[in-house]
Amino acid sequence: MSVYEYDAVIIGGGASGLTASLYLSSRGYKTALISKGDPVCCLSTGGIDVLNGSDSPFDLLAHLPEDHPYSLVGREALIEALSFFMEIMGHAGLPYVGEPGKNRQIITPIGTTKSTGLVPCTMADADLAEDGHLHVVSFKGIKDFYPSYITSRIKNSAFSVFDAKVATTLGIAARFEDDAFLDAFISWLHDLEIPHDRVALPAVLGIRDPVSVMEKISSATGRQVFEIPTLPPSIPGLRLFRALKRLLQAKGGHLYWGREVSSFESQAGRIEAVTLSTTGRPSRVEGKVFILSTGSFVSGGLFASRDWIRETVFGLPVFVPGERKDWFNTDFFAAGHAIEKAGIEVDGTFRPKLTKMDNLFACGSILAHSEILKYQCGHGLAISTGMAAAKMCEGMLS
Amino acid sequence: MIRTDVVIIGGGATGCGIARDLALRGVHHYLIEKGDFANGATGACHGLLHSGARYAVNDPEAARECISENAILRKIARKCVEVTGGLFVRLPGDSKKYRDTFLKSCEEVGISTEVLSASRALDLVPDLNPAIEEAVTVPDCSIDPFRLCMLNAFTSRHKGGGILIHHKVVDVIREKGRCVGIRVEDCSSSHIKEIRAKIIINASGAWGDAVARMGGSEVPMTLSKGSLIISNHRLTNMVINRLRPPSDGDIIVPNEAVCLAGTTSITVDDPDAVEVDPREVDIVAAQAEQMIPRFGATRIIRAYTGVRPLLKAESSDSRSISRGYRIIDHKNGMYSIMGGKLSTYRLMAEKTVDAVLGELGIKAHCRTAEIPLEGQEELSGYPLSKRLKNIDNIVCECELVDRDHVERVVNSLGTQYIGDIQHRTRLGMGPCQGGFCTYRALGIMQETGRMSPDDSIQTLRQFLQRRFRGIRPALWGDQLREEQLVESIYLGILNMGLKR
Repeated sequence: MSVYEYDAVIIGGGASGLTASLYLSSRGYKTALISKGDPVCCLSTGGIDVLNGSDSPFDLLAHLPEDHPYSLVGREALIEALSFFMEIMGHAGLPYVGEPGKNRQIITPIGTTKSTGLVPCTMADADLAEDGHLHVVSFKGIKDFYPSYITSRIKNSAFSVFDAKVATTLGIAARFEDDAFLDAFISWLHDLEIPHDRVALPAVLGIRDPVSVMEKISSATGRQVFEIPTLPPSIPGLRLFRALKRLLQAKGGHLYWGREVSSFESQAGRIEAVTLSTTGRPSRVEGKVFILSTGSFVSGGLFASRDWIRETVFGLPVFVPGERKDWFNTDFFAAGHAIEKAGIEVDGTFRPKLTKMDNLFACGSILAHSEILKYQCGHGLAISTGMAAAKMCEGMLS
Repeated sequence: MIRTDVVIIGGGATGCGIARDLALRGVHHYLIEKGDFANGATGACHGLLHSGARYAVNDPEAARECISENAILRKIARKCVEVTGGLFVRLPGDSKKYRDTFLKSCEEVGISTEVLSASRALDLVPDLNPAIEEAVTVPDCSIDPFRLCMLNAFTSRHKGGGILIHHKVVDVIREKGRCVGIRVEDCSSSHIKEIRAKIIINASGAWGDAVARMGGSEVPMTLSKGSLIISNHRLTNMVINRLRPPSDGDIIVPNEAVCLAGTTSITVDDPDAVEVDPREVDIVAAQAEQMIPRFGATRIIRAYTGVRPLLKAESSDSRSISRGYRIIDHKNGMYSIMGGKLSTYRLMAEKTVDAVLGELGIKAHCRTAEIPLEGQEELSGYPLSKRLKNIDNIVCECELVDRDHVERVVNSLGTQYIGDIQHRTRLGMGPCQGGFCTYRALGIMQETGRMSPDDSIQTLRQFLQRRFRGIRPALWGDQLREEQLVESIYLGILNMGLKR
């Protein structure tokens, strides 16, 4: 068995685990991030939902239930976390725009709007509050984007269809990495002589550097260009994830990607190490502190059996919202299925309750009572609890 | 106003069977169905072509009809029937005495059986519970009820019959006490049509009493709810029955890539207000697991429930009520065909048409037992090789349905209903249950100009709500995980949730 030692070991490579790892490694701690694969973050819109339902997310904070993780984070720490996020994304070449205290509206693929906090700059002009005058560009055969949903709802709008010879968002985004393809696209768009000031596309403007793709199109056509997030797999979600991962590597964080924790060791109320299964020899990863950020059901941090719910790494006690028959509302669209409350309950220091592990912390959507879909607070919660848990670790390490 | 000889109300197997029978005997007719074909009990059954063995002990008459129809349908409906064969398995604790009675009864009604040792049965179905005592082979088959309805309707349409699906009967027209026609409402346009006929046949299953009452009579029925679950895998190539008296969860039927397990039997009042109770899912799953242990570890992708329209009987136990059928001449121009089951639909149609033609004074022989269903050869069965041909354009990844196929169906039917596409292509029938592809299919429908973007979103909402009804009772494990992803799409990314 190979043995590795770290200050901090983070399990789960989604937005919360990456934020926690980034914070700790930027503070000089030797950090390891273990992830069994690409996170649920890649399925998101790429926007940072902070807390929806009003123009200002902060107005709503006070009305959240006491056991909601935001109540543990607090307003100041939330602002600090979002500012930290904006700052690092600027360094990563994928700048985000928006104000932490103000929600904005972006267009959805069905032509409605959705409220969100911060957005990647490729969606900066996706605000419908402005006058219509919109030209939507779609791609031939694309599966997850139907422009007439949008143009039917917006005055002074029209759409055109470009043949990219592939039908998936990922395939089209990959083609935008190619300069010859981009040039052909730009010349096609230029020849359309569209009368509108703004051009909207599904979010496929390349994977590595969408900002320069967007700027090239914009300057060649003299039109404002913006992206509309699509269904999973989502390119803006993938870009966000990759940018955070690149940043962490640049800061010297150690990644164990595609690896799963198979067992752990604890002694005298402390986690000593986790063991990672591999096809070769297993690795023992030792740490002074551990953060659990494995997410909820979709990412596999929680698993529901017919009548119980299990936390999959440490077997921590899980808050279970009643009997199975009550986990879901009968109305699919009603806000807040009870199952969204399932998760790990933590105390004010982000340590799981009912476990006597002094050096174990939890953050992100695995936290109980987060009700992410009800409050539309996914990435905001991930980033702020990730940072909060990391700060608790910092306090312990220093 | 439309004039015809016979109007059939109900597009289940019986109604469609009657339409074909009339068509082959040269009688003009109209068939009215408020939903799509197989909307009621036909589409909510387990797709079993009975050998009759299940009824041999308690209901030998029904068993005789089953085995005889079983042989006929194998011949005339080759593309709807998969000749799987069936097993009755006896588990430890199941009565050996019942097994003896069962074998004797099967022999008496002419159902061929063979007793197999546990190891021979396990050779045939390796995932069977290795603890079984023994198994008995029977000629059970798997049958596609939807395809069966469509093919019967195909003949009717081909021979000049009128078929109106998504049309609801709102009124039976009576003159001097006699039913002389009906008024139907087009469910998409609310437009009312009047159809005049010499005879009205009520083949509306669980809704039979309501239709009969519109005509001024009634049919006493007992409605029995039966719930089933669908597994993500085809765990057996044979139909598996439990060798014991009929009870909950005693059958598993393979169907294409999945298995259906059922059923429960609960008496209900209103056929429009039935839901699967999560406890029924647990009962059926636990029983299925006893016969095939791997069933317990397999994803349940959906649960559904149908209402058996049984003949009214004194007994309060709906399982002991005969599965036989009855033709009621209301003596007012309306006939009701009640009870029965999918396996004997053709026989029920034949007897009904015989009775109706007797009144009309038409002499024509029934030929449905000899002539294979028309249009079968065009049904490809949609083999994998065909599905993979257009791999770059797959719209439904679970069932490999490509965009061209969806467009063809949309254009040929001119349909406004997503169910029409699902039943014809298998779109949305896989593990995600349409969570990803229905949005796409509706996008394609509105791009072809068949429906407006607003209608398309409205249809999507209705679909998601209906889909959730089927999924909700069986949410745990990987299916719960997938459901959370689907929720994140519609309630998160597309923001379709109700405001809190």
